[in-house]
Amino acid sequence: MAAGRADLAFVWLFGPAIVFALVALVAVAWTIADDDAWGPVERRGAAVVQSATCARCHPDEHASWRRTYHRTMTQEARGDALLAPFAGERLDYLGFEATMDRDDEGRPRIRIVERSGGGEAAPIVDARVVMTVGSHRYQQYLAAIDRGGGAGEIWRLPVAWHVGEGRWIHLNGAFLEPEGTIGAADDYLRHLSRWNDNCVLCHNTEPRPGARADGRFETALGEIGIACEACHGPAEAHIERHRSPLRRVLAAAIEGRAHAADPSIAAPSGLTGARASEVCGRCHGNRIARDLGAVLRDGDGFLPGEELAAVSRPIFADSTLGDPPEAPFGERFWPDGTPRLSAYEYQGLLLSPCHQGGAEGGLGCGDCHSMHRADPAMQVREDRRGAAACRGCHDEAAIPAGHGGHGESVTCLECHMPRITYGLVQGMITHRIASPDPGALVGRDDQPDACTLCHVDRSRAWAAAAMAGLGLRGSAPGPEREAEAWGSRTMLDLLGGDPIQRVLAADALARPRATMEPRSRIAWLVGALEDEYPAVRLAATRAIRENARQSGDRALQEAIAAFDFLGPVDARLVVVDRLRELVGPGPLDAHPERLEALAAAQERQLIWIGE
Amino acid sequence: MTAERHIRASLALVAAFLATGLWLEAMYGLRAEGWIDDAIRREFLRLGHSHGALLGLLNLGLAWALERLQTPAAWARRIRPAALTGALSVGLGFIAGGLWHGPTDPGPPILLVPLGALLLLTSTVALALVRPGDLAPPGSEQG
Repeated sequence: MAAGRADLAFVWLFGPAIVFALVALVAVAWTIADDDAWGPVERRGAAVVQSATCARCHPDEHASWRRTYHRTMTQEARGDALLAPFAGERLDYLGFEATMDRDDEGRPRIRIVERSGGGEAAPIVDARVVMTVGSHRYQQYLAAIDRGGGAGEIWRLPVAWHVGEGRWIHLNGAFLEPEGTIGAADDYLRHLSRWNDNCVLCHNTEPRPGARADGRFETALGEIGIACEACHGPAEAHIERHRSPLRRVLAAAIEGRAHAADPSIAAPSGLTGARASEVCGRCHGNRIARDLGAVLRDGDGFLPGEELAAVSRPIFADSTLGDPPEAPFGERFWPDGTPRLSAYEYQGLLLSPCHQGGAEGGLGCGDCHSMHRADPAMQVREDRRGAAACRGCHDEAAIPAGHGGHGESVTCLECHMPRITYGLVQGMITHRIASPDPGALVGRDDQPDACTLCHVDRSRAWAAAAMAGLGLRGSAPGPEREAEAWGSRTMLDLLGGDPIQRVLAADALARPRATMEPRSRIAWLVGALEDEYPAVRLAATRAIRENARQSGDRALQEAIAAFDFLGPVDARLVVVDRLRELVGPGPLDAHPERLEALAAAQERQLIWIGE
Repeated sequence: MTAERHIRASLALVAAFLATGLWLEAMYGLRAEGWIDDAIRREFLRLGHSHGALLGLLNLGLAWALERLQTPAAWARRIRPAALTGALSVGLGFIAGGLWHGPTDPGPPILLVPLGALLLLTSTVALALVRPGDLAPPGSEQG
């Protein structure tokens, strides 16, 4: 009797737990054996679930992504997304006046009229802004305008808000093109470009341009902006698989590092360096689609984790298009094939010896960058800042800090990844990692080098000799051109280079580390304020402003503050004259024949690089 | 299991899980890698520490209540180990699940938590429902 009562107590107390344990054991065993829980899954064609769904299981990753400029690459035009005031600002440029304000409901709008029309002319643009593109350097604005392609057409407007400058700019000033003719609407609207088959592709998640045979567009986005599934791929299959809590709990035991091995999603951190870099290269490496029609209809067809080359090929200097083939991309690269524009970072990586041709262990984007828990400005990993970027492979014993004879204050990047790239109206570091070799470029005017971008008052022959003196390897310099005997490389580039060289020379002269005292640098830069290319004028403006700040001279600061790089020529010249009064003659004012020769060299090197 | 052993074991449980709190504080203070930077581990180690200590205190309450309510010995002998095992399972399940976790969820040891919770639940309900004369012969030994 007592034993029976005791058994009842045992069953009451332990029975539910025992039943749970048995059920759990069976469920665990079933889950372990279930191929659907662990095996390959078809990701292509899966639906986009959007970042809010990802946040439910990956809150930290979601939070760190939210801090990035990738998230805000495209946004709906409302609230904090709008960086520009839209409070009635005006931008007069090239004979047109753009007015940025809001309608009665507070929605942003942009109206552009020809100034010679005296306010009577019909506006060439009168549009309500519906989306924004960009939020870091400058913000562009999109409007729904039917220009023959139907109601679904979205157009990028020709004016943008420059965040650093805190002002409106015209997009002719953001690209490397001559300014255009005053009053010519075609020149003014050169960058009124259709979003549906351009910007949409790299600035959103899983976009589908939806180009139809009749020329209309039915564009759809997986998610606005660059969200989780842009890098990880559509996650519907992943979500379905992970609805089972047992599958999630067992992941640690079954897969070890389940995140790396889970075939239902692409995790760049778990891919090889080469394959993970293709995820970045999809947008940070301009490319040519294998089937452009399919891209414009259904999107680029790339699935993160799969081969990028299956759907496109990266553009290099000798890449060809058409039949008969033409090679139209040469001016986007330096003569040695190094990209000289941003959005070619992937090509820079591919050309770097560190990448090892994509072999296992070769450098990939993820060795320095991460979308999570990294600095939003450049997405550089916290553990890869400065010299740490290279220390993962090149330890102190093999390559001591300061091995270049510059001390430790000059980091690896400054010599091995110099600022020889133009992008977003400024100089940027190259992603083709290489050792400086100024000797190989003596006698050439067509490519900058790392040494003379800091030693702005020196020639390449000097740099080559200095390298030899420091015991560094480098090519023996060939014969100098005549100008190299009297002009430093940076001066020659600033006054006689092509537009990219001129921007990069101005950028070099803006850097505090550059040799020469600030007033001398300003004297060099003043001439660039008269450049035909607005982008060069902006680079020179920034450089003069920075040097004026370094000099502490208030008169210089006030003078350059009055310069509007997009303003009328007369007003610009007033500032140029004032600056010349303050800093004295330019570097070649005593040798007008040299100045003329360099100006002629500029004119021979007109380039036209849009998007 | 006797009442004395139950009380001592409960106190030991409280002490052990309080000690894990010291460990966690030390890791926080030392900014130990794998703790400060691992949200899942941090969350589940905290859960293990707090649940283990609080359920140890619950066991002390149960031990007191078993005496106060004169629960029949046949029940009391089983409630004590069930409640202790439950508290230990919950605490250890959280800690081990956090130490050995996957990308988004704790590891398999987390399955000990519902098991332990069931033991604690049945123990507590039994203590509340069983009366001194229930299921035991009159005059039998009290827990």
